Amino acid sequence: MTRSRLLQLHCCSPVKTVVDRGSLHLGFVPDFSPGLEGVVAAETEVSEVDGANGRLIYRGGYLIEDLAPVVTFEEVAYLLWHGELPTKTELDALKKQMTPARHLNDAARGAIEAADPTFNPMDVLRTAVSAQGASKGLPKPTLEQAVALTAVFPTVVAAAWRHSQGQEMIKPREDLGHAANLLWMMDGKEPSADRARWVEMYLVMLADHGLNASTFTARVIASTGSDLTSCVVGAIGALKGPAHGGATFAARTMLDKIGSAEKAETWLNEAHARGERFAGFGHRVYRTYDPRAKILRDLAKIESPELHRTAARTEEVALKILHEAHPERPNATNVDFWASVVLTGAGIPKELFTCLFATSRVAGWTAHVLEALKDLRIIRPASVWKGPEPGKKPLPIAKR
Amino acid sequence: MSSEYVPGLEGVIAARTEISLVDGANGRLVYRGYVIADLAEEMSFEEVAHLLWHGSLPNRSELDALTEELAGSRTLTPAATATIDALPADTDPMDVLRSVVSVQGVEHKLQKPAIPLAIHATASFPTILANFHRRSQGLEPVKPRADLGHAANYLYMLNGKESSPELVRALNTYLVLLADHGMNASTFTARVIASTDSDLASCLVGAIGALKGPAHGGAPSAVMAQLEQIGTADKADHWLREARKQKVRFMGFGHRIYRTYDPRAKILKALCERLNPKFYELASKVEETALAILHEEHPERPQATNVEFYSAGVLQAIGLPTEYFPPTFAVSRVAGWSAHVLEQGANNRLIRPQSEYIGPEPRKPVPLAQR
Repeated sequence: MTRSRLLQLHCCSPVKTVVDRGSLHLGFVPDFSPGLEGVVAAETEVSEVDGANGRLIYRGGYLIEDLAPVVTFEEVAYLLWHGELPTKTELDALKKQMTPARHLNDAARGAIEAADPTFNPMDVLRTAVSAQGASKGLPKPTLEQAVALTAVFPTVVAAAWRHSQGQEMIKPREDLGHAANLLWMMDGKEPSADRARWVEMYLVMLADHGLNASTFTARVIASTGSDLTSCVVGAIGALKGPAHGGATFAARTMLDKIGSAEKAETWLNEAHARGERFAGFGHRVYRTYDPRAKILRDLAKIESPELHRTAARTEEVALKILHEAHPERPNATNVDFWASVVLTGAGIPKELFTCLFATSRVAGWTAHVLEALKDLRIIRPASVWKGPEPGKKPLPIAKR
Repeated sequence: MSSEYVPGLEGVIAARTEISLVDGANGRLVYRGYVIADLAEEMSFEEVAHLLWHGSLPNRSELDALTEELAGSRTLTPAATATIDALPADTDPMDVLRSVVSVQGVEHKLQKPAIPLAIHATASFPTILANFHRRSQGLEPVKPRADLGHAANYLYMLNGKESSPELVRALNTYLVLLADHGMNASTFTARVIASTDSDLASCLVGAIGALKGPAHGGAPSAVMAQLEQIGTADKADHWLREARKQKVRFMGFGHRIYRTYDPRAKILKALCERLNPKFYELASKVEETALAILHEEHPERPQATNVEFYSAGVLQAIGLPTEYFPPTFAVSRVAGWSAHVLEQGANNRLIRPQSEYIGPEPRKPVPLAQR
C-alpha cells in the first residue's frame, strides 16, 4: 500500500478500510495474506522445509532421510541447538546433563496430581511444563534451560498418562536413552530395542519443521523478551489444535472408523459426499510427498503390518478422490497420517499422540527461541480495521 | 507467493479485525467504534468486555446477565486450587497465572472457544491472583463476593477488605483502558494459537507468556524500578543523562505505533496526578527530561510516553505490589484476547508464515565414531 492510499484512507474516504499499521514508517504495506501464507516472518538456520523439492533440511544442512536411520534424538537435539552433530564426548556430556533433568519438581508433580484423570494429556502437559518452569522473576532463555525442558517432557507425558490410568508415576531411569526411558516410564517395563528405535525415529523426524504454527508461536512469545517456559507452553497450546499437532490423533481416529482395507473405498466416498475432510492429507508447504511421511510409511509396513494395510488402501483411495475433486491441488499425504500408524505400532495410546509430537518438537521450539534471541525484535504485525467508523458516541445505559 | 523478510512483521497485515483500532497517526484507540476517551471514565470493565465480545454496549438486562455470569464464575476448580498450592510462594505471579489458567476450566473434550468460556476465563483471573497472593503472604484466601463488581472484587480478594470507591474506580478505568490494543504481541499470539483450532485456555496461556516479556507487559515494574533508582525529581536530569551515556533504556517511552501521545497514557497521567501526587511529582519531571533527551538524540522520532509509564503510578496508588502490575494487565487484556480468539475462529485460516533458510547447503552426516 502506498503513502497516498494510506492518506486517502485516513481522510474521510468513502472506503472504510483503515490500517492499524503497527508501524512508525510510511513505507510499503503488503496486501493481506490470510494465515500469513507466503509471508517471511523469520530468518532461520534451524531447519528448512523445501516444499517444492519435498525436502526437509535440519540445521547444518542435513536431509531428514539421511539423519532418521542413523541418529538418536539426543544427537538431533544437539544438532538443532548447536548447529553441528555432536562428537562422542559432546554427546556423553549432553546425556549427563539430560538424565538428572528428567525429574519432576514438586510444582510439576503437584500439577499432575491435581489434574482430573479425565483431562486431555495435552492440557496436563501444558500445565505441568508451566509449573516445572515456574520461577521467581524473568530468567533469560539459555541452552541449559532448553536441555532441561526437553529432558523433562517424557517424564511429564508418562506421568500424565499413568495418572489418567489411575497408576503411580514411575521414576526415570538414567541408563536408558530418551526414547527408551519414555516407554519405560509409561509401562513400567523395559521396551524392546525395536519399539525404542521406532519411537526414536519418530522423535528424530518431528523435531523441527520450519516456521510451523507452534514454532512461530514460540518465536512471537520470545520476541517480547519473555522466558523459555512461556515460549514452550504457548507452543504446546498451538500444537494442541487439530489443524496442527492434533492431526495425528485425527488420522488414527479416521483409520479406526474405516476399520479395514476392504472398507476404505466405501467409507471415504461416503465421507467425501458428506463434505468431510480427510485427516492426514494436505500441507501448506509441501508440493510433493512429505519426506517424513515416506520414511514413516516404510517403517509402518514392518512394525504395524495390519494397520499399514488399512492405511495404504486409505491413502490410495483418498488421494484419488482428492485429485478428482481438486486436480489443481498438490494433495499429498502428510506426516500425521503415517505417524499415526507408526505410533500405534510402537504401542503408544492415541490419546498421547499429540504429547509425543510435543516431546519431539520441544527440541526445535527451544532451538528457535535461542536463535531468535540473537536479534530480538518484537513481533507485532498490523491489522486492517473492519469495524464501524471510529468516533461514535456511547449511549447511557438507560437509552441502549 | 513469497514476500521479503520483514523483521518483527512490522507493517505486515496479519488479520482483519473489528475489535480495536490503534490509529497511531491521530493518537486514537478505538474499541468497536468508540474512542477510548469516551469509554474510560464512563463504563465499567464489564460493559467494555461485553462491547469487545459482542460488538455493542450492553443494555441494562444484558449487563445484569453478564454481571451475574461473571460473579458466578469466580470460584476456582479443585484442580486449579491444588495447582496454586503446589507452586512455591516466591513464584512470579505471571507464572502462577500461566499455570493456573492452563488448568482452570479444562474439560475432557476439546472445546471450541465461545463467549461463555471467555466469561468464565475472565472471571477467574482475579481469583487466581488473589488466592496466590494471600497464600504467599501466609494468609487464608478470601472468597469472592458476588455483590461486588469485577474491579472491586479483585481488590477485596487481594486485601481481605473493600477498597475505597475512588480506588475501585481508578482500577476500573485502568482495566477499561488496557482491555484491547490491536494486533499487539500477546493478542497476536492468542490468534496464532486459535488458528490451529486449539482451545481458549491454550490461547490465553500463550498470550500470558507473551505479555510477560519486558518489551510487552513486563515493563511497568521496570518503570517503577527506574524511578526508584532516580529517587527524587531534582536528580532526574543528572541521572537520565548519565544513564544515557551508558546506553540505559528509559523505561516507559516509545511505541511502535503511536506518533502522538498515547491516549491511554494521557488519562492515566491525570489519574496519577490526583491519586499518587508523590509519584507524579517525580514521574512528570522524569518524563519531561526523558522526552527532551530522546528528542535531542532523535528529533525525527516521535518518542512519546507509553501506557506503562503512568500505569505504574496508578497501580501503586491502588495498592498493588509491583510484581502484580503485569498480571493485572492480564486481568484486563483477557477480555481483548478472548474477543480476538472468537473473531479468529469465525473466519479462520491457519497462521503459518514462512521462514528464510540461512543455513548451509545440504550435506551428508558423518557417523558418530568418525566425528
